[in-house]
Formats: sequence, C-alpha cells, structure tokens
Amino acid sequence: MAVWTLSVLLVAALAGGAWLALYLLRVNEQWQEHSQQWQALAEQHGADLAQARSDLEATSSELAAVRGQLATAQERITQLADEKAQLGDESALTQQLADYQRRVSTAAGQVATALATCIDGQEALIRYLENSELYDPASLASYRADVERYCGDARDANAELQSELSR
Amino acid sequence: MRRPPRRAAALVLVGGLLTGCAALPGLTDLPQPPPPVPTSVVPTDLPAPGIDAGVTQLSPDGFDAVRRMAVRIRNVGCGQISTGSGFALTDHTLVTNKHVVSDSAQLELSTYDGRDVAATAASTTGLADLAIVRTADALPAAPELADADPRVGDPVTIVGYPLGRRLTVTDGVVLRSETDPLNATLGEVLVTDAPVEPGSSGSAALDADGRVIGVVYAKSNTGHSYLVPVSTLRAMLDDEAAFAPAPTCAG
Repeated sequence: MAVWTLSVLLVAALAGGAWLALYLLRVNEQWQEHSQQWQALAEQHGADLAQARSDLEATSSELAAVRGQLATAQERITQLADEKAQLGDESALTQQLADYQRRVSTAAGQVATALATCIDGQEALIRYLENSELYDPASLASYRADVERYCGDARDANAELQSELSR
Repeated sequence: MRRPPRRAAALVLVGGLLTGCAALPGLTDLPQPPPPVPTSVVPTDLPAPGIDAGVTQLSPDGFDAVRRMAVRIRNVGCGQISTGSGFALTDHTLVTNKHVVSDSAQLELSTYDGRDVAATAASTTGLADLAIVRTADALPAAPELADADPRVGDPVTIVGYPLGRRLTVTDGVVLRSETDPLNATLGEVLVTDAPVEPGSSGSAALDADGRVIGVVYAKSNTGHSYLVPVSTLRAMLDDEAAFAPAPTCAG
C-alpha cells in the first residue's frame, strides 16, 4: 500500500515539475519576444526623434530667415511711412505756397485794376477841370468824389497786398 | 525490522520531490507573461509650448504694440506747417499736446505704417499741455494707462516722431519731478534723460510693462525731456469740462 501511495505522489510531483518547467519556458519566450518588441519600438522612436530633430533644425533655420525678412520688411515699412510723411509735408508746404502766391497775385491784380481806375479817373477829372465852365459844378464835385473813392480802393488794395507780402 | 533499500530510496526521492514542491511559490507568485507592447509611447497630452510675452504683442505685420500705438500729426496752419506725435487712447481717440494741435486749419494723422487717419475734432485743456483728437478711422492699437506716476529711477521708453522723421523708440530713466518750468502744466512734471527732439511732443512715455506713464511735451537745454505725468492725464480725462475745442488759425 505504501508503495502505491509513494508512486502516486512521485508521479504527481513529476507532473507538477514538468508543468512548471514548461510554464517557465513559455513565459521566458514571451518575455524575450516582449523585449524584442520594446527594442524595435525604441529604435522606431529613436529614428522618429532623429527625424524630428532634423526637421526642427531645418524649421529653426527657416524661422531665422523669415525673422530676418520680417525685420527687413518692417524697416522698409517704417522707411516708406517716413517717405510718405515727408512727401505729405512737402505737398502741404507747396499747397500753402501756391495759396500764398494765388492770394498775392489776386491782391496785386486788384491793386493794378484799382490803380488804373484811379489814374483814369484822375486824368478825366483833370480834363474836366481844365474846361470846368463846360460842366455843372455839382457834377464835377460828384465825379471828384468818385475818383477819390477809386483811389481809396487802390490804396486799400495795396494795403492788402502789402499785408499778404509781409506774411 | 529493516526496510529494503529500494523502498527507502523511493521514500527519500518522493520526500524530496514533495519537499521541493512544497517549497515552490504559489501560482500567483510565478513569473507572469509580459503585457502587450504599446504601439507608441509618445505622450498625447503634450504641454503647450511657452509663449513669449513679446510675441503676443505682435500684430500680423510683426510690429509691436509700442510702435502701433504711435500717431504722427501734421498741423497744417494758416501759412505754416508743423509736426508732432501722439498715441492712441482708444480706437478713435488719441492723446497729444495742446501746442501740437493749436492754431491749425487742418490736422493730418498717419499711423506707424503710413496709413492716413482722418481727424474729426480736437480738444485742448487749459490746465495742462494736453489735447485729445477724435478720429474717423480706427487706430491700430491703444496702450493702458499706468495706475500711478513712476518713481525716480524707473525706466522709461518714448515712442514718437522726432523732427517729424521716422518713428523712433528711445529709452531713459526718470530723473526727478519738478514744477513745470514752462508753466504749461499745472502741478509737477517729470524729467527724464530719454532723448527727444522737436516733433516728439505728444509722444507716449511708457514703463517697462508698456503702460503710459506720461506724455512728452518739452525738451530742456540740457537734453532732458519733460513729461506730463499720467496722474495729470487721468485727472484731465476724468473731467470732461477740462477740454474745449482746440483753437484754429482761422479764428
């Protein structure tokens, strides 16, 4: 009886040991495969990292170039804004000069016209006075007043011209 | 009674095996199969890259807020032309000096990039060399006003159009505050060593954070610049009655 018992126990122990050995062998193989997969993954990420670093370097270089172009463009924009402003200043000055010349020309024309009227009136008045017996004294006095007004207008126009010239 | 040798050996072998089996760890303590290897270990929730504070101030054309706030002012008077500087206060309002906009027949404004901006009205205050100009078109950018005046030694940046030429940014520090030597502004004014020139009048003076701490209104014989402090500017802006239509050369 004892022999049977021992035999059964021996068989069971051998079976358990065999199962354990097979299990450990299988797990070992799985861990080896696991390790290889991790290594492959690491190599893939290493390659990706190297590519990303290369891309980053290229992009950084492009960014530096773009920044340089941006700085140049900004400098140019500022320069063009200044040139436009200077042209605007010159245009405004030119416009003011043109306005000034127009006012002076207008004033000078008014002086010339008023002076001519004054001179013509004075010449006519002189002729009338040389033959005053031919004219009504009241008419002569009225004409004299007109001539004085003409000459007064000429003086006013001249004063306006002098005012413009002094500005 | 002695046991036979073969039985004894078998007993020893079985005992050893049983002892060995008993010494084995439990099934849960056995080495387990490895978990599946992920297809990628790249994190998906990457932190956002840090943003440079200066970059956030840039407009699409790359100019910073300091330059975009600046406005060039051409005062077309009756027989004369003068230029000055200013800076945006809001979308349609800019601040400059009273003496920049006074006695004008027309005000012509342009921005940092040369765009013309139409002026609709100008107002000046008699208590300080300050003026406000309303615009029909929107201004590019407006700075914040500082809460308080700067202290002696604080850095200052001035952005404007010295001599009516290109937009220029200069730096300096606040030297002191004193009574206005020109009697153009009530109360104390600030003196800085930031270089300015005629045409810089109305320029914004900024602190290190880009906030307005004063308005340039004069230059001393020693090359120092005078500022209307931001406290005076705030006081004037808070009092609508302080401003009246700017005098024109047409009367």
